Amino acid sequence: MMRLRPLARAVTAPNLLKHSVRCTTSVATQPEKIEVFINDKPVYVYPGTTVLQACAEGGVQIPRYCYHERLSVAGNCRMCLVEVEKSAKPVASCAMPVMKGMRVKTDSELSRKAREGVMEFLLVNHPLDCPICDQGGECDLQDQSMVFGSDRSRFTDINFAGKRAVEDKNIGPLVKTIMTRCIHCTRCIRFASEVAGVDDLGTTGRGSDMQVGTYVEKLFKSELSGNVIDLCPVGALTSKPYAFTARPWETRKIESVDVLDAVGSNIVVSTRSGEVMRILPRMNEEINEEWISDKTRFAYDGLKRQRLTFPFVKDEAGNLKKTTWEDALITASSMINNFEGNQIAGLAGGLVDAESLVSLKDLLNRLGSEALCTEEIFPMDGAGTDLRSNYLLNTGLAAIEEADLVLFIGTNPRFEAPLLNTRVRKSWINNDLEVALVGTKVDLTYDYDHLGDSTEVLKQLADGSHPFCKKLNKALRPMVVVGSTSLQRKDSQAIHNAVSTIAQTARVQSGCGEEWKVLNVLHRVASQVAALDLGYKAGVDYIRKNPPQVLFMLGADEGVLTRDDLPKDCFIIYQGHHGDKGAAMADVVFPGAAYTEKEGTYVNTEGRAQETKLAVSPPGMARDDWKIIRALSEILEKPLPYDTIQEIRSRLEDVAPHLTRYGEAEEANYFKQANELTKTIKGQLETQPLSPPLQKLEDFYMTDSISRASQTMAKCVQAVKEATKNPYM
Amino acid sequence: MSKTYKVVNGLKRAKPIMSANPSEAKARVIHLYKAWYKQIPQMVQLYKLDVTEKEAYAKLREEFAKNKHVTDLRVIDLLVVKGQLELINTVEHFNQKPHVMRFFRDTHNPRPTDFLGKFYAGHDP
Amino acid sequence: MASLSRIPLSFSCFSSIKNSPAQLAIVQKRCKSTYGPLKDEDRIFTNLYGRHDWKLKGAMSRGDWYKTKEIILKGHDWILKEITTSGLRGRGGAGFPTGMKWGFMNKPSDGRPKYLVVNADEGEPGTCKDREIMRHDPHKLVEGCLVAGRSMGACAAYIYIRGEFYNEASNLQVAINEAYAAGLIGKNACGSGYDFDVYVHRGAGAYICGEETSLIESLEGKAGKPRLKPPFPADVGVFGCPTTVANVETVAVAPVICRRGGEWFAGFGRERNRGTKLFNISGQVNNPVTVEEEMSISLKELIERHAGGVIGGWDNLLGVIPGGSSTPIIPKSVCTDVLMDFDGLVQAQTALGTAAVIVMNKDADVIRCISRLIEFYKHESCGQCTPCREGVGWMAKIMKRFETGNFQEGEIDMLYEISKQIEGHTICALGDGAAWPVQGLIRHYRPELLERIEQFKQKQQKKATA
Repeated sequence: MMRLRPLARAVTAPNLLKHSVRCTTSVATQPEKIEVFINDKPVYVYPGTTVLQACAEGGVQIPRYCYHERLSVAGNCRMCLVEVEKSAKPVASCAMPVMKGMRVKTDSELSRKAREGVMEFLLVNHPLDCPICDQGGECDLQDQSMVFGSDRSRFTDINFAGKRAVEDKNIGPLVKTIMTRCIHCTRCIRFASEVAGVDDLGTTGRGSDMQVGTYVEKLFKSELSGNVIDLCPVGALTSKPYAFTARPWETRKIESVDVLDAVGSNIVVSTRSGEVMRILPRMNEEINEEWISDKTRFAYDGLKRQRLTFPFVKDEAGNLKKTTWEDALITASSMINNFEGNQIAGLAGGLVDAESLVSLKDLLNRLGSEALCTEEIFPMDGAGTDLRSNYLLNTGLAAIEEADLVLFIGTNPRFEAPLLNTRVRKSWINNDLEVALVGTKVDLTYDYDHLGDSTEVLKQLADGSHPFCKKLNKALRPMVVVGSTSLQRKDSQAIHNAVSTIAQTARVQSGCGEEWKVLNVLHRVASQVAALDLGYKAGVDYIRKNPPQVLFMLGADEGVLTRDDLPKDCFIIYQGHHGDKGAAMADVVFPGAAYTEKEGTYVNTEGRAQETKLAVSPPGMARDDWKIIRALSEILEKPLPYDTIQEIRSRLEDVAPHLTRYGEAEEANYFKQANELTKTIKGQLETQPLSPPLQKLEDFYMTDSISRASQTMAKCVQAVKEATKNPYM
Repeated sequence: MSKTYKVVNGLKRAKPIMSANPSEAKARVIHLYKAWYKQIPQMVQLYKLDVTEKEAYAKLREEFAKNKHVTDLRVIDLLVVKGQLELINTVEHFNQKPHVMRFFRDTHNPRPTDFLGKFYAGHDP
Repeated sequence: MASLSRIPLSFSCFSSIKNSPAQLAIVQKRCKSTYGPLKDEDRIFTNLYGRHDWKLKGAMSRGDWYKTKEIILKGHDWILKEITTSGLRGRGGAGFPTGMKWGFMNKPSDGRPKYLVVNADEGEPGTCKDREIMRHDPHKLVEGCLVAGRSMGACAAYIYIRGEFYNEASNLQVAINEAYAAGLIGKNACGSGYDFDVYVHRGAGAYICGEETSLIESLEGKAGKPRLKPPFPADVGVFGCPTTVANVETVAVAPVICRRGGEWFAGFGRERNRGTKLFNISGQVNNPVTVEEEMSISLKELIERHAGGVIGGWDNLLGVIPGGSSTPIIPKSVCTDVLMDFDGLVQAQTALGTAAVIVMNKDADVIRCISRLIEFYKHESCGQCTPCREGVGWMAKIMKRFETGNFQEGEIDMLYEISKQIEGHTICALGDGAAWPVQGLIRHYRPELLERIEQFKQKQQKKATA
C-alpha cells in the first residue's frame, strides 16, 4: 500500500504536505523562511521547498515532464536540471530541497545545455508523428522542444538502427495508448497508485526496453482513469472517444460545472460547431483539485443520444406525436386549467437547475399547489430540511484534509462521489487519517475499519456502547458522513436520527469546538441541495398520499413514481432532455436543455452554489428549462414575473440568497438544535443491512439519464464485466 | 446629465467638413439624387434587375426619404459620401445583382420582443 | 615499534599502538617513496586463495574474531577514530572516506533503528574481489559487519549478495550460522552486551542493484531502481531508516584495522590513499589474478609482479582499464608510470574504481571492447531516467557502427558530446560509468577510430569495383 510508515513520514512529509493548500493553515508551526537566489534575485521560501518551487516563486518556470504538483516526486525525466552554484553537476530541481543562500541559475550555459541534452535524448526515441497525434497542440514535448530543444537533429542512426517501437496496449474503452510515444515520465503510474489507489499501472523491462503498462493486458480498472490522459505530457495516453475528432485550437472552451454527481466538479467543456467534443477538468482546490471522474469526463456522448428535440403530445392512440411548442403548451395548459390547484403536483429529478426549480415552484404555488417533491428521499420529520445543516456535507470537501477520523455510514464514496474519495485517500496517505465504514464492505482504495453493515452497529454507535465510540470521541476533528443512498429506505428518519446523534456526541466529546462540523450528508444527485434550499419536499410520499390529477415531472427520470402510483387518468407533463423513464410515461413532453446547454445554478453537496455555462445551444426545439415553465405560465395566464436570466436569478436571491453567491459554500451551523429536534420523533431502525446501490465499478458508470444514454459508459460497463472474468485482474 | 451637455456643446462647436451651410448640403443631396436618377435605367438593364424602372425610382425616393429627418450637416455629408460610393460601386459594376437587390428586400421579420414571442422564435441571442 | 605493529594476531600490538609515539609514524610515512610489494605479514586477507579452512575454526586460527569483544566494548567513537586514522576509503568504487561516512550515522537517534547494508552485489565487469572474500574468508566479513555495525549503532546488517554468487552466498550463510552458534553475533554478540543480527539477501542479478539506493530498493522488495538523493540513505535508507551501504572489502578490513590500529593501516600507500587493496588483474596477462597489494603500487609493477606480465611483453600493451569496466581506458604511455591509487588515476583522467585492472594487448580490438562494454551498460540501464535510458542506447548504436567503421569523422566528437550529455545528468552513477569508457576511447584512441573509417571506405570501394 501507498501509506508510508509514520516514522519515515517524519522525514519525507514536508515534501508531500506542502502541496496541500489546507495544510498551510497550521501557520503556528511553520518555520522561518530562508533566502535563496534565483538568477541572483532573492526569494524567500520555507525550508523543505524544492528548487523548482522556489524558482516558481521567483517567477521562473522550470520545464518538466515527470514532476507534477499533486504527485510524488520521481525526478526521472531530468528536464528540470538547473545549475546550482558550488555544485559540480546540475541538480534536478524538482527533487532538490533548497538550502540557505543557495544560488540557482536557471538560464546559465550549463542549465541550457543540460535541458537541450535531455530534450535531444527524449526525441531520439519519440516518433515524429505529431500530425496524427491527438496530443498535438497541447503536447508538453512539442512546446518544450520548441523552447528548450536544439534546432536540428543529429540522430543519424535513424538510417541504421531506427527508433524504438512499442506495442500498444488495450487498457479499456476510455484510454487509448500509443506506447511508442511514451517518454517514461511515470506520471500515470504515480497517479494510479497514489491518487486512484489502484496499482494497475507499472513498468516492465529495463533500460530502453522499459515499458509503461499494466504488466499483463488488462483493463485499467479505476473510476478516475481518464485523468491519466491529462497527466500524460505526450500523446502516449489519449482519450479513446475523442480520438481524431478535434484539435485543441479549433475548439471553444467553456468553463462549466459537472452535474452527474453531487460534488459539482469544475469542468471545461470543449465544443466545436455546436457539438461537445470533450470535457476536461478545471482546477478548483475546494472541490475537485484537478481531477474528474470518468463519468464526468466521458458521459458527454450521452448528450447527443436519446435527446428530446421536439415537443410531444400523446394522441388518441396513446402514441407521443411530434408537435409545435404552441400546441404542446396549450394542450398542457388546458389540462391544468381543468383542475384545482391542489390537484396538481410537481416532481423534480436529479439533474435540474435551481432556476427551473424555483420557476416550477412559483408556477405551482400560483396555481394553488404545494405539492412539490423531489425524487430523492430525505427524512422530513424533526428538523427535517428546515435546518440546512441537516442535509449538507457541512465539513466541506477540502476540509477532509484537516480531519483525523472519518466515519462513513451507508455509503460507498468511491462511486457516489469519486472526488470526495480521492480527498479521503490523500489525507489517509499524508495525514494519518483514520477511516471507518458502516455498510457493505467495499473497496475504497484505502484501508478502513469495517464496523459491519447492520443497523445494530448504528444503534450501538448512537448510544455509545460500540467500542469504536472511544476512538470517535477521542478524535480531534472527526467527520461522520452518511450517504443519501442509505436514506432512501423506509427507516431513513431513524438512520438520520442515529447519525445525527453520533455526530453530535462526537462533536461534544471530542472537543473539536464550534467551528468544526461533524455531521455530513453525502448526496448523490446534483439538484437535491438546491431543491431542499428552495423548500421542495424530499421524497414522493406527499404525492403518494395526495394523488394528483396533473403531475409535472421536471427531469424526473429515476422511475420513483410510475403510472401505477398515480390515478389512472392523471395527466403527466414531462420536461427534460432525455427520452428516458419520465418521457415514456408522459402525456405531454417538453424538450429541455442539458447542463451543457444552459446557464443554470447547481448547489453541490457542501452547499456551494455554482453555475453551468452555455456551451452549445439546446438541440432542435429544446429550450431552457425555466423558460418553458415561464412560457407555460403565460399560457396559463399566470405569468411569472421574470423574463431574463438576471431577473430569475434575482428571484432566486430573494428566496435563498446563497444560491447566487457562486463559488462560495454557504455554511450552516445548527447541529445541536437539529439533533434535539430529531429526539422528539421516534423512528425504528429496520434490520436490513446498510447497503449502498453502487458497490462495484460496473455500477458506477450509468446512474442518470445522460450516462444511461452514453455509449461510452455502456462500453465501460461491458469492459468491466469482461474484465471480472479475467483471471489476472 | 453633464455628460450629454458636453456632447451637445461639442457638436455645436464642431466645424463642418464639407458643407458650410444647410443650403450647400441640400445642393449636394439633390446633386446625388439626380445622379442616381439618371443612372437607374442603365442599372436596371446592366444588372438585369427583377424590378421595373418605376419601382426603382420609387425605391430611390424611399431611400432618400429615410434620412429626411437628418439635420446635422456633417451627417448629411457623410450620407452623401456613402451614397456616392454606392453609386460608383453600382456604375462600375463592382456590385453584383444581389447587392443591388438588397435595397428591395422587404421580407425580413422584425425580432419578437415579448417573452413568448422570443420563446417560440427560438433561442435567445 | 614498527616491527611489533606488523606482527599480526598478537595482543601486544593492541596496547603498543596506543603507546606508540605518533611522530614516529609520521616520519615513517614521509620517508616512503616506493610502494609495494606487500609483505606477507601485512596481508589482511590471508586466505584469499582458499588454501586454508574458511570456516570458523580456520578463520579463528588466522586471527579473526580475536578480541572482538574488546573492540566492541571500546565503543563507537573509538572504532570510528581508528577507521578515520587509518584513512580507509570506500572500496566499492567511489572512494568516499569511510570514517566520515560511518560517522554520518551517529546523529542523535529519533527512535528509528539503524542498519548497515553490505553491498556484495559485485557486478562490475572485471571485478572479483568480494567473491574471494566471501567464499574464502567469510568470517572477515561477518566480523566486519559487527564492528562496522557497532561503529554506527546499527542493530542489524543486511548483506545484499549478487544472485549469481550461489556458492559465496552459501559459504557466507554457513559462516553466519557458525557465528550465531558461537555467540559471536546475535543477542549479546561476543558477550559484549550488544545485540546484532546479520542477514544475507540474495539479489536477482542486476548490475544496477550494486548502486546503493537501488540496492536499498531491491532489498525492500521493489524493482531495483535508484532513488533520488537527497534524502541520503543516512537519513532515509532501507525501510525508511538511517542506513549505511558499504562495500564488502571496506567492511571486511575494519576489524583488522581496529586490531592492528589505524596507524598501521595508514602506513601503506600515499597520503589520502592509504591501506592495502585487493587488485583483480584480468585480460591479456599471463597469469590473471586477484591479489592484495599496497595502495599506490605502480601499475606496471602490479601487472609484472603478480600477473606475470602482459602477453607478448610490456611493449605489446595497448591499454589498461584500471578500475573496472566503468573507468576510462588509459593507453600504454600512461600505464608505464601511473600509480594505482585514487589520486594517481584521477590525474591520469581515469579512476581507481574497484581496482579491477583489465589489460588489453595489441591483439585486442579496443573499439570492439569498448562497444561491448557499452552494450553491457545499455542492457543494465534501469530505464528510469532519460539521459541514461535513451543516451546509453544511442551510444551503443553508434559504437556498433564504430566497430565496422561505418561512420563519419564528425560523429566521434558527437559521441563524445553525447557521453558528456549523459555524464552527471542522471540519478545514479551508471550513466557516468557508461559515459567514461567512451570518453577514454575517444581521448586516447582517435587514430584507431580514423583508421577504422579508412578500412571501411576501402572495403566499400572494393565491393563497388568487384
